[in-house]
Amino acid sequence: MSIRKFLMAGALALVSTSALTVNAQAADEVTIRIWSLDKPEQPALNLAREFDEKEPGIKVEYRLIQFDDVVSEAMRAFSTGQAPDIIAIDNPDHAVFASRGAFLDLTDMIAKSTVIKKENYFQGPLNSVTWKDKLYGVPKATNTIALYYNADMFKAKGLDPDKPPQTWDELLAAARTLNDPAKNVYGLAFSAKAGEEGTFQFLPWVQMAGGSYQTINSAGGVKALTAWKTIMDEKLASPDSLTRGQWDSTGTFNSGNAAMAISGPWELNRMTQEAKFDWRVALLPVPEPGAQRSSAMGDFNWAIFSSTKHPAEAFKAIEYFASQDDKMFAKYGQLPARSDITLPPTGDAKKDAALKVFQEQLKYAKARGPHPQWPKISKAIQDAIQAALTGQMSPKDALDQAAKKINAVLG
Amino acid sequence: MRKIISSLTDGRGFDIGLVALPLGFLFLMSGLPLLYNVLMSFQEVDMFSLGSFVRPFVGFSNYVALFSEPETWPIFANTAIFVTASIAGQFALGFGLALFFWVNFPGASWLRGLFLVSWVMPGLVVGAVWNWMLSGDFGVINFLLRESGIISGNIFWRSDPSYALWAVILANIWLGTSFNMILLSVGLSSIPDDLFEAAELDGANVWQRFYTITLPMMRSSIGAIVSLGLIFTLQQFDLFAAITSGGPNNASNVAQYWAWDLSFRQYDFARGATISVIMIVFVMFASVVYVRSTKQEVRG
Repeated sequence: MSIRKFLMAGALALVSTSALTVNAQAADEVTIRIWSLDKPEQPALNLAREFDEKEPGIKVEYRLIQFDDVVSEAMRAFSTGQAPDIIAIDNPDHAVFASRGAFLDLTDMIAKSTVIKKENYFQGPLNSVTWKDKLYGVPKATNTIALYYNADMFKAKGLDPDKPPQTWDELLAAARTLNDPAKNVYGLAFSAKAGEEGTFQFLPWVQMAGGSYQTINSAGGVKALTAWKTIMDEKLASPDSLTRGQWDSTGTFNSGNAAMAISGPWELNRMTQEAKFDWRVALLPVPEPGAQRSSAMGDFNWAIFSSTKHPAEAFKAIEYFASQDDKMFAKYGQLPARSDITLPPTGDAKKDAALKVFQEQLKYAKARGPHPQWPKISKAIQDAIQAALTGQMSPKDALDQAAKKINAVLG
Repeated sequence: MRKIISSLTDGRGFDIGLVALPLGFLFLMSGLPLLYNVLMSFQEVDMFSLGSFVRPFVGFSNYVALFSEPETWPIFANTAIFVTASIAGQFALGFGLALFFWVNFPGASWLRGLFLVSWVMPGLVVGAVWNWMLSGDFGVINFLLRESGIISGNIFWRSDPSYALWAVILANIWLGTSFNMILLSVGLSSIPDDLFEAAELDGANVWQRFYTITLPMMRSSIGAIVSLGLIFTLQQFDLFAAITSGGPNNASNVAQYWAWDLSFRQYDFARGATISVIMIVFVMFASVVYVRSTKQEVRG
C-alpha cells in the first residue's frame, strides 16, 4: 500500500466515524450506563432492557460485573472518572461510597417521587442506604437467613417435623439426633467461610444473644461463637463449612447430606427443583426461650454515582425498577425490600410456606453497619470465627482480639 | 550537525539509541508502576485518593503496622513453604517426565504435547476442579485414599489448618509440572548426542552419564526453570482464590493473596503495596542470585 492510498484510507475512516457521531447526536439520545451483578435470569438485566424499550429518549447500556469485582471495579471507575450512572451495590458496601460523596444524595428526589416512598421500605434495608440522615440509594431487593429442615429426616429420626427447633439447645440436640456419619448425613449445614458470608451468618447469632459488632466480645458474642464451636467440634456440620459458601453448603442439604441448613430465600428456586423431599423453613432459633429475634439482612441497593451527567434520567430508571418490585418474587424469586407489597401466592405450597417464614424473619433483619470501613470490621469478625473454630484460640480470646481490631477502626 | 546524524546512523549514538529504546519501554511499563507501588507503601491511601499522587506521607508506619500484626510472620512462613515445596515438586516431576519422554518411544513427542494441557488451562478452572477433588465429604481424592486403605477417616484438605496449604501446593505442582517438563525437554534435546556416545564407549554407566553430562549441560536450563518457577509461584493467586481463600484462619494464606485481600477486599491499598514491596525485595534477591549463577557458565 502506497503512502497516498494509506492516507486516503485513514481520511475515509475519519469521515465515517465523525458521520456516525453526528448521527448519534441528531437522535438526541441520553445514554445511561448500569452496572450490576445480575445474570440474564435475574432482575436487573431484564429491568434495564424493559426500561430501554419503554423510554425512546434513553438508551441503556448494561454491564454485568462479577460479585467479587463490584466494589473494586466501581472504585477504580469512580477514581478515574469512568463511573457508570447507576450501580447495584451490596448493602454493607453502600456506606463506603456514600460517606465519601461518591453516591448522589437522593433525599430530595425521593421526597418528590410518586413511585418511591421512604415509608414503604423495611427499616433494615433503608438503614443501609442511609448515611447521616440522608438517603443515598434505593433498596433493590432484600433477603435474610432462616433455618431450612428436612421434614422426612425429622420423621425418620423420631423428631416432630411440626416442631422445628426453637432454641440453640434444641437446634444442637436435633442436629445430634439427625447426624448420621454412616449415611454421610450431617445435622446442619451453614457457612463459616472467611469472607463476608461468614460474618453474614454469624452476626445474627451474636445479636440474638444480646451482642453487636460494636460489642463483639461481650457475653453474647462469646456464647454465639461457643455454640458454633460446639457444632464444629462435635462434627454436627461438615468441617468444610469453614471454607464453603452458603450456596455450596445448602447444596449438600438439597442432596440429602445435611438434615438442616441455614440460608436465605435465594435457595428457594433451586431447592424446588433439586430437593426430592419434604423441606420446610423455620425462624432462626434463639439462645433461650423468649430471647430477642434477629437475623441478617442481605442483598443489593441501587445507587446513582455523584459523577453522573443525567441524574434525572438515572433516577427515572430506578423509579421504573421500583415500580416492578411487586413482580420480583414471582419472576425471579427475590424479595422486594418493601412492606407495602403483599406477594401473591406462587402456587407452590412449599415455596409459599417458606416465603411466609422469610417475611416474618425479615422483620428482625438488621443491616451490617452501616460503616464506611465495614470490610475491616467484617474481616476482624471472620478472623475470630476461623481462629476459634479451628481450635487455635478460645472463643473469648478470639473475640477479644477482634474487638481490639474493631475498636481501632471505630476510633 | 552532520557529526550528530552520522553518529546516530552508525556510531555511538546508534548504540545509545538501541539501548535507550528498550530501557525506556521497560521503565515506562514496569519501572513506573514499581516506583508507584513503593511510593504508595509510604503513603496513606484509600479508595478515593487512588487516582491522585498527592497523599499524606506516613513514613514507615505502614511497615511498622504490618509487622505488628500477629498474622504477618505465619503468612510469610507459608509463602516460603509454598514456594519451596511447589518448585521442588514441579521440578522433580517435570525433570522426571522430561527424561522419560527423552527416551523417544513411539508417540513420545505427541504425548509430551498433551501434557501441556494442564499448563494451558486457566488457573481459576484448575482451582475449581481441584476444589471439588479436594472436598472433604465427597472429594474423589479422599475416596481413592479411603478405598485403598491409606486413610480411615476423611481428610478435610481445604478446612483443616494442617492440610490447607498442602492442598494448594498439590494443585500448583500439577499446574506447573508440564511447563517445567517442556523447558527441561528443550534443554535435554540441546545436549549433543556424541557426548553420550563417547562416554558410553569409555564405559560410563547410566548414572555416571547423568551426573557428569546431563546435569552439568542442563545447568542453564535448570537455573532458568527454577527462577521462572519462583516467579510463577510468587504470582500464583487463582488457586488460592478458588480452593481455600487463604483460610482457614490464614493457614493457607500467602503474601501475594494477602496483598490482594488487603487492597481489594479491605481497601487498604497502602498495606497491600507494603507487602508487594517486601515481595519485590525477595524477587530482586532471587534474580541477582540467578544472574550471578548463570554468568560464569560455559554454554554448549
